[in-house]
Amino acid sequence: MNNKFTVLVIEDEQHISDFMYSTLTSHDYRVLQAFSGKEGLSLINSQCPDIILLDLGLPDIDGHSIIKSVREWSSSPIIVVSARTNEREKVTALDMGADDYITKPFGTGELLARIRTSLRHSNRLNNDSPLFSRPYSAGGLKIDFSRRMVTVDGNSIHLTPIEYKIVAYLAQNSGKVVTHTTLMTQVWGPYAASDTNKILRVNMANIRRKIETNPADPKYIFTEVGVGYRLKEDEQG
Amino acid sequence: MPKNKIYSTVHSLVFTFILMAISTFIAFICFELVANNYANISLIYILALVMVARFTEGYWYGIVFSLFSVICINFFFTFPFFKLNFTLTGYPLTFLIMLTITIITSAATSHIKIQAKQLSEQEAILNKAEKEQMRANLLRAISHDLRTPLTSIIGASNSYFELSEDANITPNPVQTTSIQDKKDALVHQINDDAEWLLNMVENLLSVTRIQNSTSTKVNTSLEVVEEIVSEAVMRFKKRQPDASLTVSVPDEFIMIPMDSLLIEQVIINLLENASVHSQSEHPIIFTVKDNPQYVSFHVRDYGIGISPDLIPTIFDGTSTRSARMSDAHKGMGIGLSICKTIVSAHSGTIQAINYPDGAEFMFTLPKEEAHE
Repeated sequence: MNNKFTVLVIEDEQHISDFMYSTLTSHDYRVLQAFSGKEGLSLINSQCPDIILLDLGLPDIDGHSIIKSVREWSSSPIIVVSARTNEREKVTALDMGADDYITKPFGTGELLARIRTSLRHSNRLNNDSPLFSRPYSAGGLKIDFSRRMVTVDGNSIHLTPIEYKIVAYLAQNSGKVVTHTTLMTQVWGPYAASDTNKILRVNMANIRRKIETNPADPKYIFTEVGVGYRLKEDEQG
Repeated sequence: MPKNKIYSTVHSLVFTFILMAISTFIAFICFELVANNYANISLIYILALVMVARFTEGYWYGIVFSLFSVICINFFFTFPFFKLNFTLTGYPLTFLIMLTITIITSAATSHIKIQAKQLSEQEAILNKAEKEQMRANLLRAISHDLRTPLTSIIGASNSYFELSEDANITPNPVQTTSIQDKKDALVHQINDDAEWLLNMVENLLSVTRIQNSTSTKVNTSLEVVEEIVSEAVMRFKKRQPDASLTVSVPDEFIMIPMDSLLIEQVIINLLENASVHSQSEHPIIFTVKDNPQYVSFHVRDYGIGISPDLIPTIFDGTSTRSARMSDAHKGMGIGLSICKTIVSAHSGTIQAINYPDGAEFMFTLPKEEAHE
């Protein structure tokens, strides 16, 4: 069985690392464990894991500098594991090149879903088959990229060009969190990002009112307060 | 400290010099207006002298000033003018009187200063003691609340191991399935208790984000109300998948200053409180209303309501909780008092209202940052 995905878990807490090890091995992943940043970096270099789970609070090396040095030569997805209270830390990690994050404490279902999503997005890159070739679809929400058409439960939704740009970018990264800064840069250009990003929030509020039946209890667009937005994962993966 | 001392010395020196100049100037005006009015001129200098003694540290400035004024009076305002003449009768007496005034005033003011300092120190100590007391009470309540689920976790895991040993001794297929059921129940219980502990710990963490309970300081940033509400509701649903809940937010786009994590905690606590304690199948109704000055959040349930004697103290924390709260969820008393702390830190209000068919908890947040 050489076609198993290899997951590298860089985590200094023995219990948490073991819990992830047993969960992932039982779901048919090959798991490598590293208990320090140095060990992690050397395993990344020697084993080329398909995906990296990185705890930000390591004793020896700062998690951010690990992301930085991995990103210099590898595009393997990195999922950051962090405590809930540090939004700033998460945002920095994501903007430095991490793919997604998961908040401690997490359930097995959440962990597996994040890993699946990140692997799929990295495969899409490898196979050279962009999502543009086929529509996005999750629940009642469908986006046809070639015709620039958005429908909810069969009803066509009218979006402004800016709103469409936002939704399309979220759809291409469906299931993953997209930070405020990334969205601002993608839609308004590299110099648009500001402290409050009010223009983005207003546009998101409008999109929510057009797409969601109840904006306070969304089915498709989820807010990660202080970090960014996440569109429901594409179901045709 | 030495920097401070240099600063105060310079300050006192400048102050003394300015008063010297001003008093001499005024004395000259008086002297020109009313010729030979020796008494007024002395009074002017004495007034200035009292001020110097009052507003400078130590005796020296006052002594220098009294010397200066005696010389000035002698030089400018007594015959022969613009000449020093210390042979005038009674001159040493004038100087002695001025010196005495200086010393008495200086002594009095420095005494007052020392007393004021002592008083504020005492107050600070008292304040600190009160805070310590509050912290100790909170800690006691928390450790008590934490012990309950921990005892249950330890007990359940012990029973689990015992069941495994029993199963090894008597390998009977019929018993094995019932043992498996029991084991599942035990693990389920452990899971429940751990979830509850997590909720508790998150509440405690949120308290540490309020830096100082008396000066009500939180780090606020502008947040979109519906985003906060939807994330809080999502986290609540994750924790209580069976709870039924209807949410509605106003159509307007509202941004208000808040610490998002703390306000989410308040919403989750109120929702959880409603779903655990209302003992009703009717969905909880969570509405947000937009008002000109503030935004209000209402959590309405259709359950058993709140017993009226609890309402006045319901946000005060631990004292009354055991009267009503079931054993498994004792910590909610702390949860509500944390809600109150958080909302007050945002300059908002929180209250509990009883209806014939249930209860409502509502809190408000001001739209503008309160300027104090």
